[in-house]
Amino acid sequence: MTMAPIRLRPIDEILGKRVLITCGTGGVGKTTLSAAMALRTALLGKKTVVITIDPAKRLATSLGLKSLGDEPTDLTPLVRQAWEKARDAGANVPPELTGTLHAIIPDTRRTFDSFVHEVATSPALEKRILANPLFQIFAKEFSGANEYMALQRLQTLERSGQWDCILLDTPPSRNTLDFLAAPKLLGAMFEEKLIRWLVVPANRLVASGMKKGVAILERLTGAGFMTNLVDFATALFDVQGNFTSKLNSMLALLESPDSGFMMVTMATPDTAPEVRHFIETLASHRFRFEGVALNRTLSYFSTDAGQSSGAYARAFEVLQGLQRRERRVLDQLEASDIRVCATVPELARDVHSIEDLLHVALALAPEARWK
Amino acid sequence: MAPKVEDVVRRKLVFVGGKGGVGKTAVSQAISLGLARSGKRTLWATFEDPTRPQGVLEPRGPNLWHLNCEASLAFEEYAAMKIRVPGLTKLFLQNKLMRYLSKAAPGIHELVLLGKIWFERLNYDHVVVDMPSTGYGLAMFQSTANFSKAFSGGPIYHDAEAMLRSFHDARETGHLIVSLPEEMPLQESLELNGYLMRYFPDNPAAFVVNRRFPRVGDDAARDPEVGRWESPLAKSAEDYARKRTALEAFNLRLWDGIPWGQIEFVPPSPTNSASEVADKILSQIQAQRWLA
Repeated sequence: MTMAPIRLRPIDEILGKRVLITCGTGGVGKTTLSAAMALRTALLGKKTVVITIDPAKRLATSLGLKSLGDEPTDLTPLVRQAWEKARDAGANVPPELTGTLHAIIPDTRRTFDSFVHEVATSPALEKRILANPLFQIFAKEFSGANEYMALQRLQTLERSGQWDCILLDTPPSRNTLDFLAAPKLLGAMFEEKLIRWLVVPANRLVASGMKKGVAILERLTGAGFMTNLVDFATALFDVQGNFTSKLNSMLALLESPDSGFMMVTMATPDTAPEVRHFIETLASHRFRFEGVALNRTLSYFSTDAGQSSGAYARAFEVLQGLQRRERRVLDQLEASDIRVCATVPELARDVHSIEDLLHVALALAPEARWK
Repeated sequence: MAPKVEDVVRRKLVFVGGKGGVGKTAVSQAISLGLARSGKRTLWATFEDPTRPQGVLEPRGPNLWHLNCEASLAFEEYAAMKIRVPGLTKLFLQNKLMRYLSKAAPGIHELVLLGKIWFERLNYDHVVVDMPSTGYGLAMFQSTANFSKAFSGGPIYHDAEAMLRSFHDARETGHLIVSLPEEMPLQESLELNGYLMRYFPDNPAAFVVNRRFPRVGDDAARDPEVGRWESPLAKSAEDYARKRTALEAFNLRLWDGIPWGQIEFVPPSPTNSASEVADKILSQIQAQRWLA
């Protein structure tokens, strides 16, 4: 099957943003694509840094690097080598390489501890929070901390003024929207009213209602729960002001016209409704939607002719089905007037190096004319 | 040593886990469909799937029901069951702190969802659970274990302990890990298995690789192009099919020594609804005699 071309919003226009955040569920190739976009931004002549929340350090592995650290690692020499090789091979690359590329993989193992360190107003308070058994559960269960720390990293980099473009690859999540909801969810945990009720009940009526509820709760949880809960809530109460002001300044950065959000997705029967839902949710947060990248597409090769019999027959049947599905998704998106900024080819093998990543970066807009 | 798929999927309670996007929903749906068709009263359970109605038990044909569990409903149900006095339950649930806790308190969410399944198992011959993806799925077992550690003495503690015992019991519960023949899901499956082994050392999981691409050419062909400025993109459809065959075989080296089962790629078609896909997967499952 060969596809008629679709209208795309130029990816390079989106890469002009100062802060770009990619969202998407696990398994869509978001990390690789974010790195490829960052590389493309460097090709466009910008000083770029990509932050990847990638606990498994897969980005480093896929780039053939031993490790990527908590501090920006300069990948520009590798980009230069790849660029030279591509230029010598006659590929469509810019004549000069003036941009730079750095990557950061924040250390997430101790994220929650550092989060507490960050918001606690005194070392004693920090110690008290960390020692509470409820905190132990909280730290293990609560997913908002990764997001919070990622945002904080983003903010520090943005304030340094060193970067033309900062690309944040959001942490892997079950739901594309988790990242958007996380800061506010964490904020809800700190909602003043509730904590205040628990710690310093406003009046006797509230206090007695609380006591009753708590008494029943302890029937379920066993004794001791309440002591820990009040202690935990008191600690939260103490850090609440500090946390809220930090959170607000992060949200202000995300809402600013310099920041934009992209969705990375693959063609599935649910793609179009998911993208619509994503856009609505962004709007409700007052965040800017920049576009959708459809990853792992197969329409860049034709399945019209060739060995469509014998051993290849089954393979072609699958590929043609996938290509048709891809087309349907693109048509549905276009019908909803949703801006697709790139269809990114499915690779025939894994990414092993910056050179491979350069191929993906170039494939984001194969017809681009570099000045 | 991992058990065979057929040893695991016939158990009373089957947890189907794995990385996001590997087809846990379709595979768990197919297994539940197969069990129901063999005459067993079967529940197919999902957790807070936003695309389906929540907390309602839906009949899905002879012997088959679907429940999309929802945490705050499960929490209310659990509270009612434990407190027993309706007036007191109401008071308890209307308490703002409780409403807040049921939503935001760490771990309660996961604990009540899993608890719901655990109680429901008594009403069916089989319960097949479509678990959340790796980390979130693990968090469900983790919360249960944490609760049993943090709050000794109360009914929650006793229930959490009993739940863990049943999930650990290979006569009652099976753990199935689904993956795609891609490096990251295969790797993540092994990590998931490692964590599960910590919680349930005597109840190892079985492995399934889903969506295997039709094999073309030589499995053993290695990628000769690494090292040159050769694109990782395919040159043609044939080239893609050949490289994909080689790539999948290469990726599956990660599972060397594990007796995994496989499900072939179901070619997408415009009419493929979720239940059609489940049907097609079921016929593969039946052909391999995974279900009795």
